[in-house]
Amino acid sequence: MSDTDNINVGIGLSTEKDIGKAVKEAMQQARTTIYKEAIDLALVFSSTEYASPHTTSLISNLIGSAPVIGCSGAAIISNKGIFRSALGLMLLSFPKTVFLNSAHIQNIHSKTALTSGEELGEKLLHGFKGGRRDFGLFFTDGLIEEESNLILGLQEKLGTSFPIIGASASDNLKFEKTYTYYNQDISNDSACGIIWGGKLNFGWGIKHGWKPLGKPRTITKSKSNVVYEIDGLPATKIYEEYFSRNIEGLRKELKRISTFYPIGIYLRDEEEYLLRNIHLIENSGALVFQGNVPEGSEVRLMIGTKESCLNATEQACEQAKNWLPGKNLSFALVFDSISRYLLLGRRAIKEIEIINTELNNIPILGLYTYGEQAPLKATNYQGRAHNHNQTITILGVEG
Amino acid sequence: MFTLIISALFIISVTGLLIILTTKNDKLKTLQLSVNKLKRSLDEMDEQAKLIIRTDIELNKTQEELDKKINGLYALQRLSRAISTTLEENQIFRMIDSSNIDELGFEKTISFLWSERDKRFILTFNIGYSQDEEDLIQASIDLNKDFYLNLIHQKKTLSSNSLADQSFKNKIKSIFRVASFVISPILPKEGRVGFIFLGTENPDMAPSEGDEELVTILANQIGQALENAKLFEKTWKAQQELEKKVEERTQELKHALNEVNIVSKRKSEFISAVSHELRTPLTSIKGYASILLAGKLGELPEEVRLRLDKINKHSDELVNLVNDLLDISRIESGRVTMRLESQNLRAIFTDITDLFFVQFKEKGIELSSKIDDNASDVTADAGQLKRVFINLVSNAAKFVPLKDGKIKVSAYKVGKFIQVDITDNGCGIPEDARERIFEEFYRVENAINDQVKGTGLGLALVKHIIEAHGGRIWVTSKLGVGSTFSFTLPTER
Repeated sequence: MSDTDNINVGIGLSTEKDIGKAVKEAMQQARTTIYKEAIDLALVFSSTEYASPHTTSLISNLIGSAPVIGCSGAAIISNKGIFRSALGLMLLSFPKTVFLNSAHIQNIHSKTALTSGEELGEKLLHGFKGGRRDFGLFFTDGLIEEESNLILGLQEKLGTSFPIIGASASDNLKFEKTYTYYNQDISNDSACGIIWGGKLNFGWGIKHGWKPLGKPRTITKSKSNVVYEIDGLPATKIYEEYFSRNIEGLRKELKRISTFYPIGIYLRDEEEYLLRNIHLIENSGALVFQGNVPEGSEVRLMIGTKESCLNATEQACEQAKNWLPGKNLSFALVFDSISRYLLLGRRAIKEIEIINTELNNIPILGLYTYGEQAPLKATNYQGRAHNHNQTITILGVEG
Repeated sequence: MFTLIISALFIISVTGLLIILTTKNDKLKTLQLSVNKLKRSLDEMDEQAKLIIRTDIELNKTQEELDKKINGLYALQRLSRAISTTLEENQIFRMIDSSNIDELGFEKTISFLWSERDKRFILTFNIGYSQDEEDLIQASIDLNKDFYLNLIHQKKTLSSNSLADQSFKNKIKSIFRVASFVISPILPKEGRVGFIFLGTENPDMAPSEGDEELVTILANQIGQALENAKLFEKTWKAQQELEKKVEERTQELKHALNEVNIVSKRKSEFISAVSHELRTPLTSIKGYASILLAGKLGELPEEVRLRLDKINKHSDELVNLVNDLLDISRIESGRVTMRLESQNLRAIFTDITDLFFVQFKEKGIELSSKIDDNASDVTADAGQLKRVFINLVSNAAKFVPLKDGKIKVSAYKVGKFIQVDITDNGCGIPEDARERIFEEFYRVENAINDQVKGTGLGLALVKHIIEAHGGRIWVTSKLGVGSTFSFTLPTER
């Protein structure tokens, strides 16, 4: 950690096809904006073409002993726009008063998501010697089941006294393999995280912009992320009715239906519904969601428009800034749901323009995700982080 | 009494209760009605929601299709622009990048051009395939080259939607590792033909007719660019050959010019030497003739005097000829340096008028001038400039009609030069002679020239003097009307 009081940040992004050249270019760009030699942390987001140990080992070798952490994304976000095929790198140097510890876990599938989350929490705590914990950042394979339980397990160990914000890795929309990066390793079926302590000032915003439609329904039978019955009927019935399609018809258009019309779980005292995308439709009529849907929940079918989506982006920026009134953010991370990219289509770039404007063009790096993790009510912190779909999550750090 | 009171109270209570119950019941009924109304509203709202969602999903689909088309068109426009500005065959394919292909709705693309020499398709570029996959595809194309040659021959774009042969379609899907594809022939008028393949692994992205059209346009653009590259290569080669020939010819001309210069120098030296050698005996001849004519060696018979006069006159002519030749030779060889000084044209013209006054009076020739105020000063060698005027004015005087001759000298400013025109009303110069009259020893064939003797060196000498001043001379003329000799002189040194 550096003696100076400021956080120093450098961002690089390369679209070079050759990994060696891409790492070199991204590193050179990042180094031109970070004036400190010693690096404390490197965040790496890339499209799957760069998900190679060659990438992480080259970066590790170039920055010394600092941890390298990140994940794959369907597209990479920077101030300059959205890049479907790119390597994004953020180099960070913190003041002496900031402490951090990083850890990762693998083979989640062979355990349960809950115990894996707990394991990661334990590892993070074990190596953390900074005293009071202030903040956690977390990346996970975007295709693991029961992601909600993973974050639940993590907070079982870390507690809910400080916020955890995270992203679920994604791939090139094939939903085949997503990756997390940890030091020199890249892996599937894994998760990694960092916890910070000391004088780190930050704020975050999370919004989706989807609105409820139709009458409220009740989840009458579910287990974790599988919903068997809604209002006493097979769960698919609600979708069959609304879309006037049978199960096969729904399956054919699952990607579109899941993206544009998720279900929203009503949470008492929260401003927004907690959204859940459908991951699978089982023959029995059960719906498998990307995230837990507790039994007894009141749910609504949700609908989003481009306008409501872009308004939400603006609101998320406002929320992030409201945490630090009168202070200047030095950089921001953006975790943007791939569903928003699909919904916005040609107007997806508008989100980046809004973020650049709202955050005064501070350096940003981010990715499109298969899930976002953050406490829901950003303006009234409750501690518990939720697993979200369809949101844009913005983390701003002052320094 | 007590019982009566109790009974009355009981009746009152029961009645009260009944009233309350009735009221409650009414309220319940009203509430039930409200609940039913709300439920009905919710159900109706739900039905409306269904309608909204069904409309919305169709709108989204249309929007997606539209977005895809617009993105495809933009990508095609970018690709076309990049490709059409490239004039090197290898570079054309390098212009096709994955982001543009992605926006056309595909992730993979591979292209081959037919080699007439090898009798096989040669890979030109690929996006999204590894070396192993590339080899596999090449092997498959080698095996099925007739299919692809036929595709080129038929000039037809095919896609996984339009290809009828199901088993071959599946084979292509398997070899190229895609769920759907479009193949379009590349058909340049010049150069190698071939085809471009675009495919996607995404089963939801089946190509539409619009996609086929876009890929056809792309293939046509590539064909056009290949054609341009070929033409450019041809033109470039032709230009190279031309440049080589020009260089060779320039060297030849330089060599020839060098030889001409040597010959010219020798000619000048020869003329100079000969003129010198001629002048010495001429001076003696003229001297002795003058002594004899002066009668210093005794009275001469009239016949002898007449002959001696002729010797004297011809000697003068020969001296003038030799002097002119010597002057031209000196100017050509650069041995004469022009003493450039500011001169007043009016003063020079006055001298010339004086010189010709008697002669022109006798012949009835009118010599006039019009010299503009801003054109009276020139930079010139006074002696040489006078020679120019004398030559041109006396030349004009030869050809103007007797008793009605008119010679006019005018001067005016043209840019950084003073232009002087000497106009006469003589017989004029034939068109074919106008260029040549400034050549040495050239004389226009006409009756006057046959009668009036001349060396044919006067105008050549004038041209040399004007050019040595940095000016130029030319003539305009109309037969039977007259001629104008114009020359320019710089105003500044």
